[in-house]
Formats: sequence, C-alpha cells, structure tokens
Amino acid sequence: MKIFWSFTRQAFQFVSVYRFNFFAEIFLTLLRMYAIYCVWRILYTQRPGAFSVDMGQMITYGVLGMALEIFVWSRPQMYISQQVKSGAIDTDLMKPLDFHLHMLARSTGETLVGASLAVPALIIAYFLLGVNLPPDIGTGLLFLFSLGLGYLVLFHLNFLLGALSVVALDIRHISWAYYSVVRFFGGQMVPLWLFPSFVGIIAGVLPFQSTYYIPMSIYIGKFTGVEAARAIQFQLFWLVVLVLTSRLAWGWAHRRLVVQGG
Amino acid sequence: MEALRLYVRLVRVSMQARLQYRVDFVMGIFSVIALNAISLGMISIIVYRFVSLNGWNIWDLFFLYCLWLLGHSIYSLLFWHFWDLQEYVTQGTFDQFLLRPASIFIQFIGREVQYIGFADASVAVVGLGLAYINLGLHWGVKEWLFFPLVVLSGAVIETTLVLMTACISFWTGRSDMAIDAIMSFNFLVQNYPIDIFGTWFRVIVTSLIPVAFMNYYPALMLLGKSDPQSHWQWLGYMSPVVAIILIAITSVVWHFALRRYSSAGG
Repeated sequence: MKIFWSFTRQAFQFVSVYRFNFFAEIFLTLLRMYAIYCVWRILYTQRPGAFSVDMGQMITYGVLGMALEIFVWSRPQMYISQQVKSGAIDTDLMKPLDFHLHMLARSTGETLVGASLAVPALIIAYFLLGVNLPPDIGTGLLFLFSLGLGYLVLFHLNFLLGALSVVALDIRHISWAYYSVVRFFGGQMVPLWLFPSFVGIIAGVLPFQSTYYIPMSIYIGKFTGVEAARAIQFQLFWLVVLVLTSRLAWGWAHRRLVVQGG
Repeated sequence: MEALRLYVRLVRVSMQARLQYRVDFVMGIFSVIALNAISLGMISIIVYRFVSLNGWNIWDLFFLYCLWLLGHSIYSLLFWHFWDLQEYVTQGTFDQFLLRPASIFIQFIGREVQYIGFADASVAVVGLGLAYINLGLHWGVKEWLFFPLVVLSGAVIETTLVLMTACISFWTGRSDMAIDAIMSFNFLVQNYPIDIFGTWFRVIVTSLIPVAFMNYYPALMLLGKSDPQSHWQWLGYMSPVVAIILIAITSVVWHFALRRYSSAGG
C-alpha cells in the first residue's frame, strides 16, 4: 500500500509541476460551466415541463459534468502506448508493484491534480451560477462513493484500451472517438433520461453511465432509495467485469509483448 | 510565385509521408467522423426534446456547426502543426528553417499536413447539404458567391489566430495554454449560437477573438435570420474583412517574433 501511494504522489507532483497552469485551467473550466449553464437555462425557460427535474437540479447536473471533465486528466492508455513504442515499458514491468496497480496509482495521482482544480471551480460556480448542494449528508456520501466507483470503471476502460495498444500500436486517433463515446453515453452533458428511447436503451446497458450519469444523478437527488441502490449495483457489476477482463487482457498483452521483444 | 511552388511541393512531400501509414490514416478518418457524428448527435438530442434553442432549430444548428467545420477543415488539413511551434522553438528544431535558403514562413507552414481535415470536410459538406435541403433554402447568385468566401475567411481567421497565439512561445517558451483558451471559445462558437451566452461573450468572440465571423454572423445572413440582440445585419458580410485584418496583424506579429528568436541549442 505504501508503494502504491508513493507512485500516486510521484504522478501528482509530475503533473502539477509540468503540465499545469492553475488559474488558466480554472478559468477554462468556469467558461465551460457557464456555457452549459446558459444552455440549460434557456431550454428551461422555453419548456419547463420537459425536464422532469427543476432548473436548479438541471444546472447543477450540467456544471458538475463540466467539473468532472477532470476524469480525462489521466490517460493511462496513452502512457502505456508510449512506453510500448519507445520500449521503455520494460522499466515499468521491473518496478516493485504489479503493473495494473502501478497504473492505477499513477492514474489516481493525475486525477487528484484535476480534483485540486475542480473543487475550487465548483466553489466559485456555487456562488456565481447557483449550483445546489446535495439534499443531505447521506446523499453527499453516497455520491462520493458512487463517484469513486465511476472513476474506477473509467480507469479500467482506459487500461483495456492501453492493453489493446500493445497489439494495435497507435491508439491516439482511436482515443478521440473513444472519449466522445465516453462523454456521450456517459451522460456528461445531457442526462440519459433526456435521450430518445432507443439511444437511451443502448446507453443504459453500456458501462459508461457509471462515470458521469449515475454519480451526478445521485448528487442532484434524481436517484434515491431503491433506484440509487440499483444504480450502484450496476456500477459494481461493471467494475467486477472490467477488473477481471483487465487482468486477463493484460496477461495476454504481456505475453505478446515478450514475444515482440525477442 | 516561387514561394507558392515551393509550398505546394512541401505539402506534397508531407502528404506522402503521412500516407505511409495506411492503418493510421483509416483509423484517423474514422475517428474524426465518429467524433463529429457524436457532437451532432448531442445537439440533435437537445433539440429533439426542446424543438429549438433560442429560435435555432436542429437544421439551423447543423448549418452553424458545419459552416464552422468546413472552414476549420482547411485549417486542420494544412496548419494543424501550428500547435507544435512551441516544441520547435524550445527544442531548437526551428533552427533548420533558418539554415535553408528559402522563406522561413513557407518552410514552417509546409512542414506537415494532417489528413483528418478530409474527414472534417466530408462531414461538413454532408451536414450543410442536409441542412440546405431540410431548411428549404433557395440561395441566389449573391449567396452562392459569398459562401466560398465565408469558408475561406473562416479558415484564415482560425489559422491566423492560432499562429499569432503560437508566436507567444518565442517570448515565453509556452503557448499551449493560450491556444487552449482560444480554442475553448472557438468550440463554443462552433456548437451553439452565441446569442445564448450574453453580451460579454459576444463582445469577446466578435472583437478580441473574432471567431463568431467563422459561422455565426455569416450564418445569420445565409439563413435569412435576424439577430435577436443587434441590428447590425451587415456584420454578416464582414468575415472577409476580418480575415484580411487578421492577416495583416499576424504578419507583423510573426516578424517581431522571428526577430526575438534565439536558438534554444545555444
């Protein structure tokens, strides 16, 4: 566990020193929050009845989605693909930590850098745009738990893509399409309950909604009681499936990697 | 003329270099089409529920998005590597342009191409076609003549803004954050009509970062809409003028930037 955190800390420091411009990032996050705020406000004034939640909840959902853009700060698949291409992956494999856990540790560190930016942005948005707090403490805690699961689901999807890069070489372009799929089916901007039925059904089966839609719906109080429990069950189910698949996929990719290395 | 011939030659070489990687080419095209399809899908879902966004129906919004994208496709095909100016400057790669007996600027702009521009262009043409049919537009000669000018101006506006911003790296060694900022405004203008964002936003994207001239103002004119917040219909015709002004400013900035350059290699 200590080794795990040391890698997390290392990733945190690396990103915060080299790729980070705190105030500019906050400004851009606020700009995106403001944009979605305007969109929902206008649509709400046009047709208040079409939302099935109130305006405050809808705006909170949108703003929270923009804050959770921080989930794309960590791209373990790009790291893996680079290391494989340059051959430096062997130093990663020699580290005193299981590769899968090592990637999780790095990824957590990078995501925490994002969080150090999302939290102040949300606080500013709370005062400027009128974002709601969760209805009660229990809901807030449930949100954090569900958010953690959402992060883990996304990490494992990324990791699987990384394992694929061992055989498919360049995943830079696939990555673009991949992230728009995550955003769209995850419900980062538009919640799944507004989707037309057939698209909604597809989105409801895919794992992506675990990352944005489920935690955010819990936060605004759209999912409560049994519905919330069922949503978290859904996240747990996908997490288990993805962890198992990741272990298998990496084992397989690892063997291919050794063969390629000669 | 000599410069143009050199440029065309450089672009051809860069294109051949890119086409070496067939799988990458196909995946890149596929990904960019998917990415745009999803963005348009998102817009469709919003409008499907709410019929229109501040008076813009689904095809108006497609038109807005794709008009931007068509101008952008020229930029993304030929000038995408302006982002990398920062790397060229900090790593000293820029030196090689200074050593050869040809225009530094031509060598720089011809250095790379990004075929994803083809994908952008094809999505844009299909989207604009669909919008044209579904909106029942009947353009006269004036609109048909003006349309290619708008597209070209859009490309110039985006290209010059990015190049100017990239030039910051000659002074500070870093420009990626500033380009990010410009692009954030740019993507909002691509996706939404700017009349939903309030006056301060409109002022910025009309003057300081005039990307609204890539799609919003000319689209009002081409779609025969009126601007809910201003009576300046003539802004719709201003895109080429804005483009020319930006070219002038950028060439001044570029010359100052070059004078500022001192090789990182030492």
